[in-house]
Amino acid sequence: MAMLDYVYTGWGAFWVTMFMFVPFALMAYWVIRRKSLVDTGPTQLQPSEFAPIEGVWMTFAFIFFVVANLASLKYIPWAAASGTTNGEPEIQVDFTAKSWAYDISNRQIEAGKPVRFSGRSSDTQHGFAVYHPDGRVLFTMLMMPGTTKPTSVVYTFKDPGKYAVRCLEYCGVAHHRMQDELTVVKAN
Amino acid sequence: MSIATTIVKSTPVFGKMFAVDKSTGLEEINAWPALMIMSSFVWLVVAGLLGLVMPATQIFDLSSDHFYTTLTLHGAALTFPFSFQLMMGVGLHRSGGCVGKAITGWLPALAWLSMNLGAAILTVAVLMGLKVSVVVMFPLPLVGAQMGVWSMESVIVGFTGIYLVLACMILWYPLLVLKMMFFGKKRAELILSERSLNEPGMLGMLLAAATLLLTGLPLVVVGTTLVLALYKVIPMSLAAWAADPVVFQYTFYLFAHNLMEAMALMVASAMYATLPLYLADGSRKLYSEKLANLALWVLLVTSVTSGLHHFITFYPNQPAALSYWGNIMSWGTGMGAAISIFTILATIWQHGLKAEPGIIAVLVGWALYILDGASAIVTSNIAWTYQLHGTMWQSGHFMTVVLSMSMMWMGVLYHHYPVLTGRKLDPALGYLYVKMISVGSLGAAIVMLAGGAAGMPRRFADWHPEGWMLYGNLILAFGLILGASFAVYFYNLMKSREISAPMGELARA
Repeated sequence: MAMLDYVYTGWGAFWVTMFMFVPFALMAYWVIRRKSLVDTGPTQLQPSEFAPIEGVWMTFAFIFFVVANLASLKYIPWAAASGTTNGEPEIQVDFTAKSWAYDISNRQIEAGKPVRFSGRSSDTQHGFAVYHPDGRVLFTMLMMPGTTKPTSVVYTFKDPGKYAVRCLEYCGVAHHRMQDELTVVKAN
Repeated sequence: MSIATTIVKSTPVFGKMFAVDKSTGLEEINAWPALMIMSSFVWLVVAGLLGLVMPATQIFDLSSDHFYTTLTLHGAALTFPFSFQLMMGVGLHRSGGCVGKAITGWLPALAWLSMNLGAAILTVAVLMGLKVSVVVMFPLPLVGAQMGVWSMESVIVGFTGIYLVLACMILWYPLLVLKMMFFGKKRAELILSERSLNEPGMLGMLLAAATLLLTGLPLVVVGTTLVLALYKVIPMSLAAWAADPVVFQYTFYLFAHNLMEAMALMVASAMYATLPLYLADGSRKLYSEKLANLALWVLLVTSVTSGLHHFITFYPNQPAALSYWGNIMSWGTGMGAAISIFTILATIWQHGLKAEPGIIAVLVGWALYILDGASAIVTSNIAWTYQLHGTMWQSGHFMTVVLSMSMMWMGVLYHHYPVLTGRKLDPALGYLYVKMISVGSLGAAIVMLAGGAAGMPRRFADWHPEGWMLYGNLILAFGLILGASFAVYFYNLMKSREISAPMGELARA
């Protein structure tokens, strides 16, 4: 389970991408090099002999795609929320994003308690990305002005510490200065 | 002499690279594509220089204003007047030679003028202060003007430029392709390599043109409404529906997402047409045309609605069901890629390959495109996108898709260049270009993806926190290699030599 927890992080995404790309790149390099430099003649394989390889390859791709997406369901914030809240009341944190600052209802949060972040934008598109103290993005939200509902995510913090908040949707000349901070403290 | 030929001839430096060969009677399919390709490379130089400014503002601690100005101009120049225009030029040349129809009249002129004038006007607007990034980030242009960050005049000028660029991509180019395919008289003397619409080499062109036209029309309606309101032809109250951020963004991404997919369809089509010409046994056959066509159809069907993945983190404003749909359809495009991987490698395995710089550039560009596809489907997964959306991962994906397609078109251009100009390129320089661009593009792509995995934000004028400068420096290093590879490519075009044999015969060979 810990491995899956890693797979569905930013770095997990990187290694899954490399898992798809590197074997393909090595195979393509080998085929192109071999058939352009070493043995350039036609290969005496009938199309019917290619068919099983084709079937195996497509089946592998299909199964990999299905497994990668099914395993991710647990890590989808709105799907995960129903499991993490476990009947416990959510702490509500409301915020409004406006160029180039946040107005956040509560910046101090207890670890281990589900928090519902609900945000709106009052001018242009903004983001609300929460960074773990180790630099990882935990989740990001997109807000557009004029929506009837706020953008919403439920998240349960595990580790106490200072969590940076950054806007990840380009919002103008001071976009990089649109930052804030949440403090996660140990539960009483 | 065509007006396009005249413009190419009178353009300093670049004109020499693309001087049209008039001795073969093929000027009617050579002139406008040559002008479009030449113009695209002028924009590549502009985009490349601007790209260097972004890391320079970080290294030398310059004003963030410079960063956002160059961010907007670099992205816009690279995507539209360079990449799309290069595709337009080479793609039209290919189509003309396949269906035996001239690329003449007002439509190619309008397409060229609309793209280049639009891009130039947008550049002026950005220099006037409009810094809205390549994807406009609506309603940022209007909000910036209300806040006094830039002037309303710059917004009007910017929207005029964007509108002209969009008109080229959504209307003039697709109409030109459809006109060539279904109307006008086929002329035997213009046929270089006849193809039908049943072949993947032409099917992709048709599907791409139809995709651009159909998915772009809603944006034309929205854009026209806004431009008319900005010019006070209609009252702003009548344009309020189009100025709604959600309406604009969904309409914009329906097109912008499918623009990339349409360009992928076109370049896949060009690859399916070009690869058979370089098979060692001379068979000129793909492993399976049916499989190649299936890959194109799968890509088309899955990609049209997969763009919903852009708004996953907008939940619950974008309902979960639509996000799941975007997630599944995005991974469906991966099935199309899996089919194309098998088709290409099986073709090479079955028939052998005559390695020449052009086809190797196409194949390396295709490999880069597969890397991009893998990064794209990963970030379309709902769980992953919550941690990657808005990070450098997305910039890596966007840069890689544009670069891989451009690399493939530049490879295809190696094949078309002798027909266009009557001159041949140096293979040693060609291979040097392929090696350098492979290192530069793969390196830049992987570093940008790693930066995104580490949480480095995109479009963000401060790379110092959290150690992101390391990724920035590596991107700059690989970017310099990329720039040097383009310099080699241009040098090869500059020193190309006349071919002694009549080009008409060679082109048809």
